[in-house]
This record gives sequence, C-alpha cells and structure tokens, in this order.
Amino acid sequence: MEEMLKVENLSIAFRTDEGLIEPVQGVSFSVKEGKTLGIVGESGSGKSISTKALMRLLPGTAILGDDTKMTYRAKSGEIINIEKLALNSRKTRDLRGGEIGMIFQEPMASFSPVYTVGNQMIEAIRLHRDMNKKEAREYAIEMLNKVGISNPSQRIDQYAHEMSGGMRQRAMIALTLSAGPQLLIADEPTTALDVTIQAQVLELMAGLQRDLGMAMIFITHDLGVIAQIADEVAVMYLGTIVERGPTRDVIRDPKHPYTQGLLEAIPKLDTLTHRLSPVPGDIPSPHARPTGCPFHTRCARKIDGLCDQQTPAEISLGEGRAVTCFLHSSEGRDVA
Amino acid sequence: MSKDTLIEVKNLEVSFPIINKKLFRTETVDLRAVDNVSFDVKRGETVGLVGESGSGKTTIGRAVLRAIDPTGGEVIYHGSRNENAIFKVRSNGRAMDFDSAPVQVHALSGETLRQFRPRMSLVFQDPYSSLNPRMTVRDIIAEPLVASGLMTKREEIDERVRDVAARCKLNLEHLRRFPHAFSGGQRQRICIARALVSSPDFVVCDESVSALDVSIQAEIVNLLKDLQEEMGVAFLFIAHDLSVVAQMSHRVAVLYVGKFVEYAKTEDLFFNPRHPYTHALLSAIPQSDPDIEFDPIRLDGEIPNPLSAPTGCRFHTRCPFAREACAESEPEWRELAPEHFVACHFAEEFDFSRPKS
Repeated sequence: MEEMLKVENLSIAFRTDEGLIEPVQGVSFSVKEGKTLGIVGESGSGKSISTKALMRLLPGTAILGDDTKMTYRAKSGEIINIEKLALNSRKTRDLRGGEIGMIFQEPMASFSPVYTVGNQMIEAIRLHRDMNKKEAREYAIEMLNKVGISNPSQRIDQYAHEMSGGMRQRAMIALTLSAGPQLLIADEPTTALDVTIQAQVLELMAGLQRDLGMAMIFITHDLGVIAQIADEVAVMYLGTIVERGPTRDVIRDPKHPYTQGLLEAIPKLDTLTHRLSPVPGDIPSPHARPTGCPFHTRCARKIDGLCDQQTPAEISLGEGRAVTCFLHSSEGRDVA
Repeated sequence: MSKDTLIEVKNLEVSFPIINKKLFRTETVDLRAVDNVSFDVKRGETVGLVGESGSGKTTIGRAVLRAIDPTGGEVIYHGSRNENAIFKVRSNGRAMDFDSAPVQVHALSGETLRQFRPRMSLVFQDPYSSLNPRMTVRDIIAEPLVASGLMTKREEIDERVRDVAARCKLNLEHLRRFPHAFSGGQRQRICIARALVSSPDFVVCDESVSALDVSIQAEIVNLLKDLQEEMGVAFLFIAHDLSVVAQMSHRVAVLYVGKFVEYAKTEDLFFNPRHPYTHALLSAIPQSDPDIEFDPIRLDGEIPNPLSAPTGCRFHTRCPFAREACAESEPEWRELAPEHFVACHFAEEFDFSRPKS
C-alpha cells in the first residue's frame, strides 16, 4: 500500500498579542491509499489546524516551521510539496477541493446562506471538472442521490436553511465529493448530529469510501467513532502526537496514560457505573505550555523530576505503533 | 402521590401558532411541540429526557420552568424541604409561602412568579454563548440573587458566590476574570454555579454536556452528581446521547415527536428496552471496542415534522417492525411492568434485552 500523503515535522506557530504560540509542534503522520487515519484529541489539541495546514487554509498570522515537509502524490502521479506552494497559484487551487476535499463540523456555517445548494455544487463541479452548466447540474443531482437525499432534483434548488441537520451534512458530503478528491478530510463531521443520524452518516461515508477508493482523515474527540471507522489512529495532545498505531491495537491495549484516560472516560453501554472516570483537569492554554511532557500536569503516573523536566521522544513499539511517554523508555524504567 | 414528589407534570401540552400570511387571509396552524406528557420528579432525583433534535425535549424543560407558557396541562410544585434554602429568608422580609400547599406553577403570574423563580433554574447547552462576555464571573454567578432580589448586601452576595463557586470547583481567584479566559469545561462549571446560587430544588440541564469533550463531559457529570448529593437538588437532565443520560439519571423518559414512547427506571430501560425506538437509539451509539460489531438499527430518514405528525403510532414511518395497525390506531400508554411505561402495540412481542457485565 502506497503512502499518498506524508507529513513530517509539521510545526505551526501563531503571532498573537501575547507573543508567539506554538499550537502544533513536530507532528508527523501519513495516509495510505484508500485507508482512513483517525485523529483524536480534545479541543485545543491542534488536530483541526494540522489538517488545515494541508490545504494551506491557515490564517495569515500563522508561520509554518522551517523543517516542515508535506509531500502529496497527486492523481496524475506528480509529487507535490504542499509547504512550497504559492498561496494563490493554480496548483494550490487544484489541490483545494480537487485533490483534497474537506468537510467541516457545522454544515450550516460551511454553506452560503444566499445561494442554493445546487448553485454551490455546480460552481465546485465546473471549477474542477470539464463540464458545462447543464452537465454539472445533472452530475450534482446524481451526487445528491448517491448520498441518500430523497427527491434530489427538487432539493438541489433549496437553500441550506431549508434542510435538516443530517441532510445538510449529506449535502456537504455530496458537494465535497463532486469535485472528485482522492483524499477527504472530515473535521468532526458527526459531532453536531443526533446519534441516529450520526450512524447514518458514518455508514454513508464508509460506503462511499469503499466505492470511490478515497483515503480519509477523520478528526473527532470520540474514540467510539474512531473505533468504527478508522484503520489507523493518532492521539493528539497539546500539539503533539502522543500515541499512534492500528486502531484495533491502540484501543485494545493503549500505552499512553492519556489514551487510557480518554478510553475510560467514555460512558459504557454494558454497565451503569455511579461515577465516570474523567481525565482530571483541563487542557492547558497554549500560552502557558507546561515544560517537559505536555501531559504531565494531568497525568496520574508522572515521574517526578523526569516528566516535568525533559520532553519524551517517540518510541517505536513495532507494527506501526509508537508512543511518546517516559513510561516506555529506558529513562523511565530506570527511575521506576 | 408520594411525599417525596417534588415536581408533578400532568398532561403537559405546548403548541406554537404558525402564522402563514397570504394575500387576503391569514392561516394559523398549531404546531404541537409537546403533546400530553406526564411525569414526576422526586426530591433529589435525576430524571433523564432523551430524544432526537425536534422531539420537543427542550420545550418540555422550558415549559416546566415557565420560560415559555404551556398551552395546557398542569405543573405542580410540592414545596421545599430544604430548611437552609436562602429563598426562605428574604432580606426584605416579604417571603411568600410556597411550601405549605402545592403550587400550581402553570398558573403563577406577575410578582408571585418572580418570587417563585429562584426555586428552579436552568443550565444551557453551549457554555460559550450563555455567558455575558462583559460581566465578570462573580457578577454572572451573582446575577440570579440580584435579579430576584433575594440578597441586596454586597458582602452577603460575595459570600454566597464564593461558597457556590468553591462547591463547583472553580478557582476563587478567577472570580474577577471575564468568561473569555476560560475553557469549555470551566465555563460550564460557571453556568452550573450560576444555576445553583439561589439553592434551587430543581434544575433543568438542557444538553449541558453535549458540547463538551468526553474527558470533560465525564468530569461535569461527576460534579453534577456530587452537587446533587450535597445539596439535594433534583435534575431534569435533557440530552440526545442515551449513554450519558443513563450514567446520570435514576429514571429515563424517551421522547419522539412530542410524545413519550417509554419511561422507566434507568436500569430497566437500559438493559431491557421495550420500545423499538429506544432499542434503535441504543444500537446507534458507537462503541469504543473494535470487536463489537457496529450494526445500528437503520432508521431511515429523519424525525417527522410535528406539523404533519404521522397518524397512529408516530414512529411507524421509521419503525422496522411496523405493521398495518401501527398506522391506524394510536398505541395506548400502558404500564407493562411495574414503573415501566411503554406506548407500543406490540411491546410484548419484542425482546431487546442486553447483557449486563
């Protein structure tokens, strides 16, 4: 299986009034053809802006790190270095939408309220595919039908506010897929939906991925969703990946205390406990980043004098698994 | 009615007029958001209310609080047993008596309603939009005391605010800050402190943990449980995620298009659901175990518009077990097992029970 996207040492910094903050620090991941990478983390962990960097959608105050490398293999087989693209170039425009598609959390905010859904779809189709208006409209209807919207030839002339939440998210998926991307980034696409609609949307996305052979990056804070949809998972905390590996292995046998905490915090369906087990404390603000391991302020198993002083390096555990924690390193074992 | 009952809701109905202006005439249709709902909340108990968006769960919560006026039915409040409740010692000495006889909350108005308000309160879903960005945390938490006129002396208010903030595990040094400086979990704790500052008997939590990350969500659920034990407050816990509601509530009601479909003790409802809709909701929750096959019951389409609610059983358009009778007659609300109410014609035939571990 070939890697279609490889991100190495992605670092993003922002200039703010209170000084320079670094919400993403040295993140590396890769996506294989036709596979799904899940990125899990709390809000503020930097999972959304890491993927926005892939589309060069970061605001002007953002600075990419010097040794950041993002290599992407386009449909034509050409290798693109995303970090070197000029922002207003033809290539960047082709990359956005045509090569990499993106679905956001709040579909109401991603559609324009003053154009019909069809109007926006036709615009995207004509930008990325060689079609005239009439063909594009037919293609848009076909895509709406594919994502399970009933009566697509009438729905296409409706505005986003006339649709319900689940239907809007389906229309968003249809819009993104109509440009024919080979990598789909889904940023919390089901968080705002009811569980029943969430199940429908997850099933739809898995089905479309099978049919179209797309690769997918799925961002969420719910490990339950990840377990159902992702092949590989990366757990992010405060701008670094703390654990990665095949989904099944990570969830069966989590190595990092943070992954363990996240799994324990999910309410279980087969027991009624009287207390849930939260990960104590809040995620620190990026202005006050802890020294050493970023998680040590909330970690139940921190080693005093080590975790708060030194930053752990990523340790490979074999079979694609890796963890960034002193508990699995020789330094940590010596102390313990 | 048992002595422990705090709130009794009988045949509650809320409808909104939908006005459709045409050229020469105006048509008004009633949208019945909540239709004939009855339940009760005991002292210090949590009742969960589950349903998809559009099922009317928020409307029920607000109608009970009189944030909107119910169009029919009764809401009865059975008086506080909390001797330390601050609303009993009003500083201006004009406390009304709401404790000796049941209060008809749906019929209160004017000054009486205003005086009654501190006994019930509300925690909203989105902690980012429910805090005024121009008020300090101290002022936000103190607002219910000031607005109801319960306390007028600054020192008294400060003391009460500090007490509640400490219970909600807020850092007292942060009381002078503004809400923008806080994370989602901390903001939700501010909202909870604001709701509890008048020591109410009853708090409606409207999707109060839905917008939070799982790790923070667990913390807020634990905090609400601790506060309930300490202060004896009763909760109406509204959410769309059955797994969270189940961990929090003593009893759970499932709502579909403005009507209850099932109402039982949490354990019965969770491990032995009798209504196909409850079963479908449970099956749609993704599990964090990759070996459990995720096979949700497919509910086609979405929740119907209450303006054109289906005839007969309202769920029959999406129910995988629907038969002819379901479209024709409305199922009776009946007690299938002790304290286990279901509205389904064929509830006896289904066995949706799940193993406990």
